[in-house]
Amino acid sequence: MARAFGPDVSRRDLLRLGGLGLAGLALAGVGTGLAGCAPTTPGSGGSGSTTGTLNMLYFGDQKAATTLQNSLQPQVKKIDKDLSIKVTAINGTDWNDFLAKVLTLIAAGQAPDLVSVATEGLQLMASKKLITPLDSYVTKDMSTLKSTYFNDIHPALVEAMMFEGHLYNMPDSFNAGSMFFNTGVLQKAGATTPSPTWTMDDFHTTAQQIKSAGGQILPFDWVVRLWGSWTSFLYANDGNLLQEGKYPGGDWLWSKAYDAGDPSIAGRKGGWKWGTPTANSDASVEALQYVIDMQKAGLSPSPDVGGGGTLQGLFSSGRIGMSIGGGFWAGGLHNAGMAPGTFNVQFFPRWKSNKSLFGTGGYSIFESSQKKDAAWEVIKMMIQPESFDIMFPGNVTTPGRKSLMTAQRYAPTGPENWKVFYDQLDGSVPISAPPYYNALATSLNQRTTQAVSAGRAKPSLDAMQADLEKISKGS
Amino acid sequence: MTAVASVPRASSREERPSQPVRRRPGARRTARREAVFGYAMIGLAMLFVTVFTFLPILASLGLSFFDWDVISPPTWAGLGNYQRFFSDEPVLQSFGVTIAMAIAIVILQLSLGLFLAVLVNQRTSTFGRTFFRTAFYLPLLASTAAVSIFMGYLFDYQFGAINYYLGLVGIPAIPWLTSPLGAQVTIVLIVVWQQVGFTFVLFVAALMSVPEDVLEASSIDGAGPLRTLFRIKIPLISPTILFAAVISLINAMQLFDQPFIMTKGGPGTATTTATIAMYQTGFQNLQFGYSSAIAIVLLLLILAITGLQFLASRKLVFYQ
Repeated sequence: MARAFGPDVSRRDLLRLGGLGLAGLALAGVGTGLAGCAPTTPGSGGSGSTTGTLNMLYFGDQKAATTLQNSLQPQVKKIDKDLSIKVTAINGTDWNDFLAKVLTLIAAGQAPDLVSVATEGLQLMASKKLITPLDSYVTKDMSTLKSTYFNDIHPALVEAMMFEGHLYNMPDSFNAGSMFFNTGVLQKAGATTPSPTWTMDDFHTTAQQIKSAGGQILPFDWVVRLWGSWTSFLYANDGNLLQEGKYPGGDWLWSKAYDAGDPSIAGRKGGWKWGTPTANSDASVEALQYVIDMQKAGLSPSPDVGGGGTLQGLFSSGRIGMSIGGGFWAGGLHNAGMAPGTFNVQFFPRWKSNKSLFGTGGYSIFESSQKKDAAWEVIKMMIQPESFDIMFPGNVTTPGRKSLMTAQRYAPTGPENWKVFYDQLDGSVPISAPPYYNALATSLNQRTTQAVSAGRAKPSLDAMQADLEKISKGS
Repeated sequence: MTAVASVPRASSREERPSQPVRRRPGARRTARREAVFGYAMIGLAMLFVTVFTFLPILASLGLSFFDWDVISPPTWAGLGNYQRFFSDEPVLQSFGVTIAMAIAIVILQLSLGLFLAVLVNQRTSTFGRTFFRTAFYLPLLASTAAVSIFMGYLFDYQFGAINYYLGLVGIPAIPWLTSPLGAQVTIVLIVVWQQVGFTFVLFVAALMSVPEDVLEASSIDGAGPLRTLFRIKIPLISPTILFAAVISLINAMQLFDQPFIMTKGGPGTATTTATIAMYQTGFQNLQFGYSSAIAIVLLLLILAITGLQFLASRKLVFYQ
């Protein structure tokens, strides 16, 4: 058979050539792979070009992305007739999932010009200099932005998008962790409707009343994740996974974007600084043990990890009495078939404090973008009030602008007590998402499920503390 | 094809002429054309294997000597990532979980596949054989992600259908996915359910190829069904068993979808397999150099285990 391949082309020679080619290709592949993924030097990207295509990554489905793209296109053409925008949707179960996929694209050398960024990824991207500070752009347009944007946006959302004194993102939406309840379930159990000042004792009493009413209904359910998980109880218990602090600076923004003496900007600085891990503090252990004990007492099921789709499904089918949700639950429950009036919302119950948590989302410009000026113009379009419903149709998140929080908006979906969404922001703290957020989320998921499975919070939180100490030192 | 057919066959010793034969004009050109054709065919396959298999492996190997977070330029780490691997308790534990689950999956998959194949092969009509072959193979065609999501609902502790029906007959709810052992066992069973069709189809085909005369001879010699199975059939299909064992083990060592979707590697790290640890290290913790080192160690481990399987096969596998 060897002869059939002929003597003129030596197999050994060919293999030798192939091997050399392979090695060359491999080296080239590794080289170009690494080179392609390395970020450009900050400032080297240039910012003046306004031709070509602006690429934007959007957290949502492609249909909404295409709608957004089509609505932005004529406006983008006004900036420059040769400029266009391409909006690519990235689906994900939550912001954590979205962030992982964005990072994969960056690894593949496909960094966009614009990206949706939430609290979860803000400090990670800013600390790695992936996204560019917007300070100079904001300062340039301050006179317009003050009256058309900052006056309408809660400063807690803006501060959550700052890092080391710089603003990296223009938020347009948020979700604060409030308590949703099924009105029918509470009525059937004879429980009183939660009041704005209700406490953890009231919450527990309500849960027990729902259980006593019998049936297949569980009083409470939650999801293992950083936002709106047992962490909501931790915040209400005046604790956190990491020591809370703030970066100095930010006066350049607060003194110009808001009126002097505005009480809502009191104590605002240069962004949240997440310090020493406090995962096994007394407040943490008490909060996690509380939800574990609820499960042991038959007041809640074993929680799912991440996402929250299953939880919404169970709530909308009347299997769950109460759960933690934000403004996005209004659209979610409506889409799942719940009519307005069948569910409502109240502030998270007060424990040792009335502290609650929130996460916010908005738009950032990539440091490597060649079209930063054009990207900034697009951001200004996207944070206009009329853009919000194009991007988030059907109350799938909470508008960051207070002017968009209207009875008319929530009439088709509910809940009746929609004002809670925005008011919950007073006294709230963003989810503790440091630059090492992803590793923190992995540890949180692992240690929480471990604690729930074992029925004891302390050993798992000690392990989480060790994890976070190790991760924070390495970051 | 014509060119191939026109070439005088000279592969067997008997056909080879004793005296040197003068080449007819054009034979050399034909041989060269054949050679080019052959290399082109191999080249195409080699190109795909190179681009989609060898290059990524080489790239991973190269990357494993760097620290790289996707965002900053990579920095040389030497053997640091490999040293870290051997002292990283959670990652080592994930390898332990992977090996334990892989052993369970392979043993169950082979034994159940063989059991079903013997049953179907023994007393089933051609129609029945085709029916069962299709029925057992169908789960393999289903999307693993879809199956995992569906199974997650079925095995849910509080709201799952399995515990609901168990409850109807007085059996208390079982923490299928919420206790460490329960989650491991449930995932193994689901993987075996989905994959057993593969080994089953292989074994049915192998059993059908056992020569009838050998079976008749054993029957005449007085061998019963069990003795025939263990002394005749299994030795004769042992090459197929080896093939199934190797493929099943390689697949099981890369277990990812089911635990990732159903338990996210939990509770705790009970179902965090090596590939999940690799994913978390790379895509969640942004340590792509270390993640690549884990991938290379897993590759070497799979190669070593497969090598051991082939070594063992020298004594256990019977080639006709």
